[in-house]
Amino acid sequence: MKPAAFDYARPDNLAAALQLLRQGDDTKILAGGQSLVPMMNTRLVRPARIVDINRLTELDYIADRGDHIAVGALARHAAVKASPLMAQHFPIICEAYDWVAHSAVRNRGTLCGNLCHADPASEMPAIMLTLGATMVLANATTERTVSAGEFFVGLYETVTEADEILKEVRLPKPAAGTGWGFEEVSMRKGDFAWATVVATLRITGGAITAPAIALAGVGDHATRLAEAEAALTGKTPSDALFAEVANRAAAAIDPPTAAAVDATYRRDLVATLLPRVLRAATNRAS
Amino acid sequence: MASHLDSNIIPESRQREAPRAGLTWIGQSIKRVEDPRILSGKGGYIDDIVVPGMAHAAMVTSPHAHARIVSIDTSKAKALPGVIGVYTGDDLATVVDPCPSFASPPVPQDAIARDKARHVGEVVAAVVAENRYIAEDAAELVEVEWEVLPANVDIEAALQATGDAVIHPGARDSNRALDESFSFGPVDEDFAAADQIIKRRLRWKRSSAQAIETCGVVAQYDQFKGGYTIHANTNFYNFIPFVVGGSLRVSPGELRIVPVLAGGSFGSKVFIHKIIIMTAGLSRLAGVPVKYIEDRIEHFTNSDSHGSDRLYDAELAIMNDGTFKSLRFTVLDDYGAYLQFGVGTHGNAMAQVTGPYKIGSFGMRVIAVLSNKTQQGPYRGFGSEVTNWVMERMADAAAETLDRDKVDLREQNMITPDAFPYMIPTGNIYDSGNFQAVLAEAKRLFDLEGWRKKAADLRADGRCVGVGVATCMERSVYGPTEWWSLNNKETPGFTLTSTPEGIAARIDPSGKMFVTLHSPMVGNSPETVVTQILAERLTVAPEDVVINYSDSQTGFNGVGPQGSRFTAMIAGACVSASIKLEERLKRFGAYMLQRRMEDVELKEGHVAVIGAPDQKKSFAEIALTSSFFRLAFPDGDEYDSGIDCTAVYDHPISTDPDPDRKHLGIFYPIVGHICHIVAVEVDPGTGKVSILDYAAVHDNGTIVNPRTLGGQVWGGTANGIGTTLSEEFVYDENGQFTNPNFAEFAMPTANEMPTNFKLGHVETPSPFTEYGIKGGGEGGRLGAPSALTSAIEDALSVHNVKISSLPVTPPTLRRLIREAGG
Amino acid sequence: MDTIAIRLTVNGRARTANVPPRMLLSDFIRHELALPGTHVGCEHGVCGSCNVLVDDKAVRACLMFAVQTDGAALTTVEGMCTKGLDDIQTAFWEEHGLQCGFCTPGMLAAAHELLAANDDPSDDDIREAIAGNLCRCTGYEYIINAIRSAAKKRRERTLEPA
Repeated sequence: MKPAAFDYARPDNLAAALQLLRQGDDTKILAGGQSLVPMMNTRLVRPARIVDINRLTELDYIADRGDHIAVGALARHAAVKASPLMAQHFPIICEAYDWVAHSAVRNRGTLCGNLCHADPASEMPAIMLTLGATMVLANATTERTVSAGEFFVGLYETVTEADEILKEVRLPKPAAGTGWGFEEVSMRKGDFAWATVVATLRITGGAITAPAIALAGVGDHATRLAEAEAALTGKTPSDALFAEVANRAAAAIDPPTAAAVDATYRRDLVATLLPRVLRAATNRAS
Repeated sequence: MASHLDSNIIPESRQREAPRAGLTWIGQSIKRVEDPRILSGKGGYIDDIVVPGMAHAAMVTSPHAHARIVSIDTSKAKALPGVIGVYTGDDLATVVDPCPSFASPPVPQDAIARDKARHVGEVVAAVVAENRYIAEDAAELVEVEWEVLPANVDIEAALQATGDAVIHPGARDSNRALDESFSFGPVDEDFAAADQIIKRRLRWKRSSAQAIETCGVVAQYDQFKGGYTIHANTNFYNFIPFVVGGSLRVSPGELRIVPVLAGGSFGSKVFIHKIIIMTAGLSRLAGVPVKYIEDRIEHFTNSDSHGSDRLYDAELAIMNDGTFKSLRFTVLDDYGAYLQFGVGTHGNAMAQVTGPYKIGSFGMRVIAVLSNKTQQGPYRGFGSEVTNWVMERMADAAAETLDRDKVDLREQNMITPDAFPYMIPTGNIYDSGNFQAVLAEAKRLFDLEGWRKKAADLRADGRCVGVGVATCMERSVYGPTEWWSLNNKETPGFTLTSTPEGIAARIDPSGKMFVTLHSPMVGNSPETVVTQILAERLTVAPEDVVINYSDSQTGFNGVGPQGSRFTAMIAGACVSASIKLEERLKRFGAYMLQRRMEDVELKEGHVAVIGAPDQKKSFAEIALTSSFFRLAFPDGDEYDSGIDCTAVYDHPISTDPDPDRKHLGIFYPIVGHICHIVAVEVDPGTGKVSILDYAAVHDNGTIVNPRTLGGQVWGGTANGIGTTLSEEFVYDENGQFTNPNFAEFAMPTANEMPTNFKLGHVETPSPFTEYGIKGGGEGGRLGAPSALTSAIEDALSVHNVKISSLPVTPPTLRRLIREAGG
Repeated sequence: MDTIAIRLTVNGRARTANVPPRMLLSDFIRHELALPGTHVGCEHGVCGSCNVLVDDKAVRACLMFAVQTDGAALTTVEGMCTKGLDDIQTAFWEEHGLQCGFCTPGMLAAAHELLAANDDPSDDDIREAIAGNLCRCTGYEYIINAIRSAAKKRRERTLEPA
């Protein structure tokens, strides 16, 4: 189980990396490599060229930018998980990271790399959707920003062009009093999710405001649940409400059926987990 | 005892060392002597072997479950720089013959498939190259033209297959490889007399051991001698020459099989003769030594070690007072594409098929089914893990039918301590036991009464909490008749009847005791066990025992670790060797002390005068004098120089099967007993099972090293938890193996294990083995599935969910709950 | 095939090598550096047997290319016992934290990283730290005991007067 041969480039800065990406097709960016290298070892992917961005230390940051936290392309999962800034503003991320692989993988893997890989059963895309993150994509000549909702477009597919790097992800700081919930079911903790359910919300005057809900593991890519959010907005939290919203959400999704895990099961998981997540978010909201 | 067993005579015990209190080393949790080298990275596994000039092999494997090979074009692969050779099955067949099959009649298997591929992952060509990277590059360049044939995936449908779907049309005209029926005792009469008959259809699905190290071989053909030197991580290396010699067209003596430390086996490395034959053949064809290490996917898809894959229709005849009267079943077993050892896994199960219960008769029809999956091999339990589960499922079903407490009902039917040795209907004996004591200890450790109350309280809160129990046998020290006793009587095939184990031992002039084993280390503790027993019997210090391993040419009669046999068997060899060495030490020592042999004894590494312990000679002095100063002693062969011996110990108690198979003889008689009690909670919305509490009590007779036995129990239980909750090889309808990797085949991690496991022991020594030792390598997996299944069913009793198939993964369990309206 | 020159520190010693870009770190360690203590169990990043310390962080050696260790400090199991078994290895020995030993070097790397950051881990911390390392022999309990014991001894040593 050995990778096919490839050309290797290891630029020292972002500008050089972006120049390299201009030069040719069939290039893969190597950041943490924790998703890419297994696929190369099994020869499911065999890029002609690897651009290793691990020397782009300029992108190794988790920075407080006032209204948002910016996470650079080279910030490892482990660093994000352990970051005091994250603990302060995004405890949901710190908690969810317990479900993302295991420590040795988190030591190498990067948040941005994980998002670009866009595994349908990965946790972080759902969290980015829920938090309303923005992606900064750079190529050799320009930068653009896209919302998380625009970023994920299909199975292992994002809007990132071949000459672009996801340079950073920006996480807007949540409003004070935002509650959050995270639930996942997978075979083992650390495995890819059969269903991940994420929610944030606030309680204003006893009513739910600004709910954000996203799912992973139940479709081609992580998705927000706009209908459920609308159904919750302005309502008084209750188990009956949560169950009703969850059952409707479960019925509305069209999950894949794999050999061992059928679509009905994934719907059941959404119906089971969404109320728990909403209850947790409500309890945490102040 | 039923009359069909009249001809099955229990031989006298050959035990020399009686179990007793006050032993010095046996029973101590000494640190393993194997560990320092392993902990420092110098274990010496198969991939650590480097032979000068060695090349590396990579495989071209079938993407189809069943397909005819129309053509193979190796030209592009051969042209790749760094490639030494590319070989198809036809090429390999110029130097090797097909693999051995102990099935009756045999099912042919080529190490590299020739006419067609019969499962996904089967090798159809091999590349030998300078390194593995280039070999894999070249393997991709081999072009195979296929004609896809119908795939046999479903166990029952495979039996109906005709035409192109028949997997071995040359050897069998259907996929029914074997179909034999047996009746042990008055089965029909007992069923006719029963008050009730409990019926269950039970399914045990396929998984495998998946040791963290895969299988591998380094083979070197010697063109001058015409033989091979082969390093391989099999646990059967002492026997492999006889298994593969014919295929390699050499006499067994021309094969030198060198053992290595194996990175776990659990049975999976017993039979790796296919890759040994293949790699040896490749080394001959390529003219260089060849290393082949399975990658993980190859280990899943092509290592012939898949576990049992069975469908039972089982019936238990019971009386209204709770008495279990008779058991019978029909079992289909999906053996995959080949049948390397026949139905040995069912032969094994005959050792303890009626469990710890007084059941007077037993009947069975066993049907071996061929399918387009990787063939079966051994996996911890070797078939008995399934019959344990079947028996315990039936016991739970009986309790439910009779509205009886499932623990009490088991206890009512248990064989009592005064009944041993106890002969079960199949003819095997249970040498000894105290099942009631094991159960009592498990209840105490688990606090069964406390948990029953706690579970009731939690259930009242709407939680799905349940308690499960399993009282199971752990047969150990196998006799090889299990391989063939269920074969067609007219063509029994391979009829081996001995499983010896031997050692060589020498006390050298420095006083060190050098011991050679003819059995590899596979994760068990052979050196520690031997050290403890020799230290016990010869009064030597453990640090003075140095252990080495023979190869197949320098060793002696032996079999190796499997069937939970090694500790009991090597203890016998150690006692035999100790008797011989003691005679030598005393003879020389007495002469040096100018005493008669009967006036001296072994004491703390010395030969000392009885009653005058200050008059003594150390083993070092005696060995030095006897080795280098022969002329100091009288003439005569008995004073030949040196303190050394070899010793072989044969199976302590075994008899042949009855010629008409009225019984199967005594073949697996050293029985342990296990009781697992577990509490679980099921999340009905997700189907996730949480283990709340777990107690395991094992009786493995006299314990040599409590800590290493504990390690076996824990590890086996972890395997059993995986088997029950998460591990399953999933094939789709085309025979594609959908999860042959560690990401999707879910073996338990530290997070999946119970956090409050309580381990207890009862010691009922065997009257037949030295010191009363019994084997204990499989018990965890022999008990955990039954206990967990029982607990899950109990937890879901509110939904009336019945568990009749393993594994019960969260999606499966959720489906059962949903179908029950939950 | 083109190779790339790298310089790194291996178990405290400076090394240089020329490696093809695609050579996995696990193969480089085992076959080029001839350090067989790093074991390869799956080559798809799940089992953790090949875990080594790169700049004191436990990483999967099968998921890195050797070329990526240019300039790094690499510690393998061989580097943990240059003066006899270290404290964690000793605890594994005392607590029967290994059977076949194949997963052990990866477990040791995980344990090193854990105890460097936290000398008083809870059992849950230990489980979490080794959950990415598969062991088929032990059922993990004695590994957990070993790491707990090693941590306890480290704490006791710290408290001893100098």
